[in-house]
Amino acid sequence: MRRFPLTIVALLALAPALHAAATRPNEPVATPAPATSEVTAASLVRVNSTNQAYDFFRPWNKKAPYFRKGLGVVVEKNRILVTAELVTNSTYIELEDPVTNARVAGQVITVDYDSNLALLAPSDENFLKNARPLALDKGAVVGDHIELLQLETNGLVAQTPGTITTIAVAPYPLGQLALLTFRISSPIQSRDSSFTIPAVRDGDLVGLLMRYDSRSQTADIIPAPIIAHFLADASQATYQGFPRVGLGYSPTRDPQLRRYVGLKDDGGVYVTAVRPGGAADKAGIKRGDVILAVAGKPINQDGEFDHPLYGKLTFSQLTSDAKVGDKVDFVILRDGQKQTIPITLEAVDRGSIVSDPYIFDKQPRYLVVGGLVFQELSRPYLQEWGANWPKEAPQRLVALDAFQDEDTTPDRGKVVFLSQVFPTASALGYQDLEHLVVSKVNDVPIKSLDDLAKAIATPKNGFHKIEFDDDPPIIYLDAVESEKSDAQIRQEYGIPELKNLN
Amino acid sequence: MSRRCFWVLCLLLAPFACLPAARVADSLVRIQATSQDPNYRVPWAGGNVVSGVGAGFIIDNNRIMTNAHVVSNSRFLLVSKEGDPKPYLARVLFIAHDCDLALLTVDDPNFFKGTNALTFGGIPAIESTVSVYGYPIGGDRLSVTRGIVSRIDFQPYTHSGVDSHLTIQIDAAINPGNSGGPVLQDGKVVGVAFQGYSGDVAQNVGYMIPTPVVRRFLKDIEDGRYDKYVDLSLSYHSLHNPAMRRALGLSDEDTGVVVGDVFGGGNSDGLLKTGDVLLAIDGLPIASDGTVKMDSGDPVEMAEVVERKFRGEKVKFHILRDGKEEDVILPLTHSWPFTLQANAYDEKPRFVVFGGLVFQPVDANFMREHDPADLRLRYYFDHFISDHLYRDRQEIITLSSILADPVNAYSGEFRYNIVDTINGQKIRKLDDLAEALKKPADYYVIEMVGQGRPLVLEKQAVDQARERIRTRYGVVNEQQL
Repeated sequence: MRRFPLTIVALLALAPALHAAATRPNEPVATPAPATSEVTAASLVRVNSTNQAYDFFRPWNKKAPYFRKGLGVVVEKNRILVTAELVTNSTYIELEDPVTNARVAGQVITVDYDSNLALLAPSDENFLKNARPLALDKGAVVGDHIELLQLETNGLVAQTPGTITTIAVAPYPLGQLALLTFRISSPIQSRDSSFTIPAVRDGDLVGLLMRYDSRSQTADIIPAPIIAHFLADASQATYQGFPRVGLGYSPTRDPQLRRYVGLKDDGGVYVTAVRPGGAADKAGIKRGDVILAVAGKPINQDGEFDHPLYGKLTFSQLTSDAKVGDKVDFVILRDGQKQTIPITLEAVDRGSIVSDPYIFDKQPRYLVVGGLVFQELSRPYLQEWGANWPKEAPQRLVALDAFQDEDTTPDRGKVVFLSQVFPTASALGYQDLEHLVVSKVNDVPIKSLDDLAKAIATPKNGFHKIEFDDDPPIIYLDAVESEKSDAQIRQEYGIPELKNLN
Repeated sequence: MSRRCFWVLCLLLAPFACLPAARVADSLVRIQATSQDPNYRVPWAGGNVVSGVGAGFIIDNNRIMTNAHVVSNSRFLLVSKEGDPKPYLARVLFIAHDCDLALLTVDDPNFFKGTNALTFGGIPAIESTVSVYGYPIGGDRLSVTRGIVSRIDFQPYTHSGVDSHLTIQIDAAINPGNSGGPVLQDGKVVGVAFQGYSGDVAQNVGYMIPTPVVRRFLKDIEDGRYDKYVDLSLSYHSLHNPAMRRALGLSDEDTGVVVGDVFGGGNSDGLLKTGDVLLAIDGLPIASDGTVKMDSGDPVEMAEVVERKFRGEKVKFHILRDGKEEDVILPLTHSWPFTLQANAYDEKPRFVVFGGLVFQPVDANFMREHDPADLRLRYYFDHFISDHLYRDRQEIITLSSILADPVNAYSGEFRYNIVDTINGQKIRKLDDLAEALKKPADYYVIEMVGQGRPLVLEKQAVDQARERIRTRYGVVNEQQL
């Protein structure tokens, strides 16, 4: 699913006031009772993570470490659930018993950046001997009251009441997915270990906090249904993640557009993009198709269906809630005719992404040749230019990242570019070159750093001929001089490895 | 004062005031220009009317020379002579925006009575003294300032923003109002004062247009038309890297530069290619940094050779291609093919209004007035030439604004998008768009670059809204092509 149109719709959905609270059948409307929390410290663990990101400008270096402290929840099978953001790029995770303050090291067992969830395990099995795992409460709806839990320094559980004000599909912070999100209104106080905290109701887990705005006193939480999907998946042999359909769409509010495509009834969304080789593409969905229903549920003009618990919800929830491999029926309108197309959901294909939206827990790839530093374009590289990177980073690279989905050639590969040049003898005259996209090396088309590494192995007449999609279009390096210069760089700049192709 | 004293005074004052000052005052012209800015936001309406003062000087054939930027977009020109209160109506004969020069004349023959035409000298020596005459701020009468020649170099001419030519830097004070005034040495014009740095940025840095540029302009217009500068339309790079020199077949002593990009539609297109080493231009050896030694013996950018040529002339390159030396002759028939990045003057903004949607071609003036945040539009404008986007379209046509009306109520998200096709017809320039929207059809399906959903307008709805939009928004013309 393309994120952008979903953002428009999802943000629209979050703006209005409370949805009517959905009441469960045959149950009186619950009055909020100021209950003492049934959750004790036995279900909570302080998670202290030391994280260190790589420097995308000097990919052989890591940046200064930073610390994140949150409250993890003990879940089934002696695992601790936290948000992925807490532990991205972690170098050391420390788990701390809230009462005894006993500490052990922890490690990440499963992480899903898209749903922002991570499962940790203690290095010492006994650490969670007396822990009480929490069960999931998947039935919370708008209007329900929950408690957000924090820990006092003495280990007592502090609870802050909150109310679920809105439920919608909204973009998650790290990856590219928009998933079910609960917005809570709650005046949380600042306390230690609050990077992520649990939201509970009657002793069961309703969700995990991922964002908090102290001005409006609202929190966004990852709700139990998403956590349940994650946990079920994590218990399989291979973690497959939330499935993808591979299409983008836009609302059809314009009556002129509706008449043009022959939409007689109320709903439907217009397919604006189909990812080549994706699930929708394989099933035969085309740009210009109008989606009328998904999994038997009619879709309105904004792409929403009626969810029994949550009311109007973006239809992506129907596919995100399913599993990789499931078949979902899409009813579409094409050339005035309705037809049903089943789409087999797929796992995200990270290999086909041109410019990665995130690179966590691994070193960025790079290759130095004769002082020339080559890297693969990724959004984290552009983000090194700071908050205003869309205007300040090299515009050509910003455009290649922003519009990457428009390149529909099958083997697009990655964008390999010269990021900078070490002043060396072999690169004399080239020291001012930077941010140039590589097209060929030694007459070999370059679609990845692996291609470049292979091409360097075969110089022509003792030269490396490097061609750019830019100006200057061609430069030459002396193959022997390059190797000598590289050896000098290792020494003089203290760089142990002049490449990372992992 | 008795006569004898007067003579003595005159002799004492002779080197400074007596004869030279009297001559220059007879040649100086004060120009009062009233101009109207073009309006790129409401393109069927005129923009602000502004008034400014500049200088000019009389040359042969009853012509007044000044800067283009003094008289650009002018609607009314008044000129007056030093010491004569009567203002005269003037008009533009020729204007050259690519080198900031213009020629005016006055139809009333009385204007030129008693005036003196100045003549042109050569390039003054570095450190020699020059005098600047004009009407800068600080008073209404003729002002003289004096300085020395500091530097002779290629500099950008800010009037167009994209052209660079030979420029002479002097340290005499050049202020607003000096524009178009002559700079004299030994009674001859050695430059036209035209730009400078403000005091906060740099001090005592003023620039004048040197006589080779002026002479070229005067020669160009002899046939009654200004044909503009011809251009090589390629990029080139120094050859400092030893491996690159060897790979191209050059020895250590050889000089020359290597061709980078050759721009489509330019004078080098099809004749020179990427990788050619340019060894000599018109017989002058090209140094590794791209300079040649011309008249004065000082190195200048090799582009100066082409700068002095006129449309229809040729330039000869001695090149090294694939290891073999050969000669390539380039007929100089074109100017720089891409005008969109230059500041434009004396032109009405072009546009089409349809269904309350305003479509305009994107150029430097448009970008300055709109300053759109749209990433794609900025990318297309900035990289139109360097990324060869010109191969796909002649102009970047964008939906610049929406005159709100029920017919376009859902078009907001398409603002600043680039028009790609209309009803399947590729839109390469504004004329294509006007033509496509004139063809009868039930729907106009406008596909924008990078957008999956088209902007659809129903002909019936557009027709019904037309009068309503015209009246409500005062749309005087629905198009200017």
